Amino acid sequence: MPRSNLSRSPLSRRRFLAGVSGVGLTGLLGASAWNAMAATLVEFPFVNGRRDLVTNFPQKGAMLLQRTRPPLLETPFEVFDHGVFTPNDRFYVRWHLANIPTEVDPATFRLNIRGHVGQPIQLTLNELVRDFKPFEIAAVNQCSGNSRGFFSPRVPGGEWANGAMGNALWTGVRLKDVLDRAGVKAGALQVRFNGLDTGVVPQTPDFMKSLDIDHARDGEVMIAYAMNGALLPLLNGFPLRLVVPGWYATYWVKMLNDIEVLDKPDDNFWTTKAYLIPETPFANIVPGQKDVKMVPINRMLPRSFFTNVQDGAVLKVGQTTIVRGIAFGGDTGLAKVLFSADSGDSWQEARLGSDHGKYSFRQWEVSLRLASPGSRKLMIKAVNSAGSAQPDHANWNGAGFMRNMIESVSVQAA
Amino acid sequence: MNTSRHNIALISAVPIVLAIALGTGLTWPHTATSLPAAKEVVKGSVPKWVKVSVDLPASQVSFPPGSGSVIANAYCLICHSAGMVLRQPPLTEDEWTAEINKMRNSFGAPLPADQVEALARYLRTINGQSTKGPSAVDGQGS
Repeated sequence: MPRSNLSRSPLSRRRFLAGVSGVGLTGLLGASAWNAMAATLVEFPFVNGRRDLVTNFPQKGAMLLQRTRPPLLETPFEVFDHGVFTPNDRFYVRWHLANIPTEVDPATFRLNIRGHVGQPIQLTLNELVRDFKPFEIAAVNQCSGNSRGFFSPRVPGGEWANGAMGNALWTGVRLKDVLDRAGVKAGALQVRFNGLDTGVVPQTPDFMKSLDIDHARDGEVMIAYAMNGALLPLLNGFPLRLVVPGWYATYWVKMLNDIEVLDKPDDNFWTTKAYLIPETPFANIVPGQKDVKMVPINRMLPRSFFTNVQDGAVLKVGQTTIVRGIAFGGDTGLAKVLFSADSGDSWQEARLGSDHGKYSFRQWEVSLRLASPGSRKLMIKAVNSAGSAQPDHANWNGAGFMRNMIESVSVQAA
Repeated sequence: MNTSRHNIALISAVPIVLAIALGTGLTWPHTATSLPAAKEVVKGSVPKWVKVSVDLPASQVSFPPGSGSVIANAYCLICHSAGMVLRQPPLTEDEWTAEINKMRNSFGAPLPADQVEALARYLRTINGQSTKGPSAVDGQGS
């Protein structure tokens, strides 16, 4: 479809307003008073959901602070209305361990490839760039626990709203090509990735993640040295980050400097004890349920969001307005995005924007005209090319992973 | 352009809809399908590597006063700032105990076993609930 069909008009107040002041207060706030509020905090619609909007992290613009050390910074949701690529300085940040190098010198940095290989190698950044064929892919990076704050009952962890995700054009080299240079030996089972960050106390397990050897060599998993055409911000993994298209961000190891080919299953803490999900559809169990097999989190599920209309928005009866948002298919492309203006009784296909590949955000939009006054529940549902659709009901698991239920907003026609 | 965009966002919804209908050119500065900086990438080009040196902000937040706050400030802050603890949902004392023991057993927090109970009671006091239900804590390290 032509680009021009996806218009750029803000429909509603920003999400700040719905949470902080409620619908009724809208008209009472002068612009300057509201501006002061909006500039400093956001109130997510769950208990203990107040977040400061901060600008004091290096190479980052205004971000929602969840934890200063090690940093957990959420992307304000309005950013997702600006385009399908999330700017580097607004891209969310999530670190596990607090010893994060604050200085990285490309002249001395080395990437090690070792373990069950014919010849261990050590690459400089320039060698990585010059000696391997470049590879680019647009892909969504989403925290396993994105939207955890909406879980009911609540679960402990990083209490994100929906902004622990981002989409970028990643530039780098295929992991397969780098592994081939070292020569993977017969009997290799997994590849383990480690970055420069470490724990504060020596007893803290170093953060490492592993992929099966066939996945690591699938020609899509890559080592990125640029995102959106620029070097990575330090807090997003400068100088190198693993990119695992279609898989949750826990595997996208930041400040990647060590790649180890294993000839036996990885037994490190972060692979065997953390980031496990119940092996059930949508990783869904009943609170308290114990009799379920747990497996490492893996492929992402489809999701879609409204970006220009929030709860409490008022739409003019009889006027046609553009409602829009973003969607992604998870581990494969989008088949369609379905919109409902009647609480899910009927659905229509939304128009889709430019296709940047099956792992990217894609914009959707509909022209909405509400003929009579009253409240309406607008809903949006992504269906991916494997036939997986966002479910009607929220999932639940004890770690707060993989939320992907249909999103809805309540609006008033007046 | 940013200023005008913010002004648009600040007025209430009804006038915005009217403005759209009147075609007053309330367009946002970015188009949805543009690649912000990506078009500058020349495939195969060598990035201009530069040494990166940054300062990460330090947290100014400590745990609020109360019996047990000394333990929290002494041990929790070794590995992480207080913010994430203070932003948790209200947890029961048992759930706080599970969280504390995860920090001790999985991550090596040097908190003595005989101080777990006092810390859990403190955390329940500042950010907790007493109602019992199925525990939402599954003991994972993530």
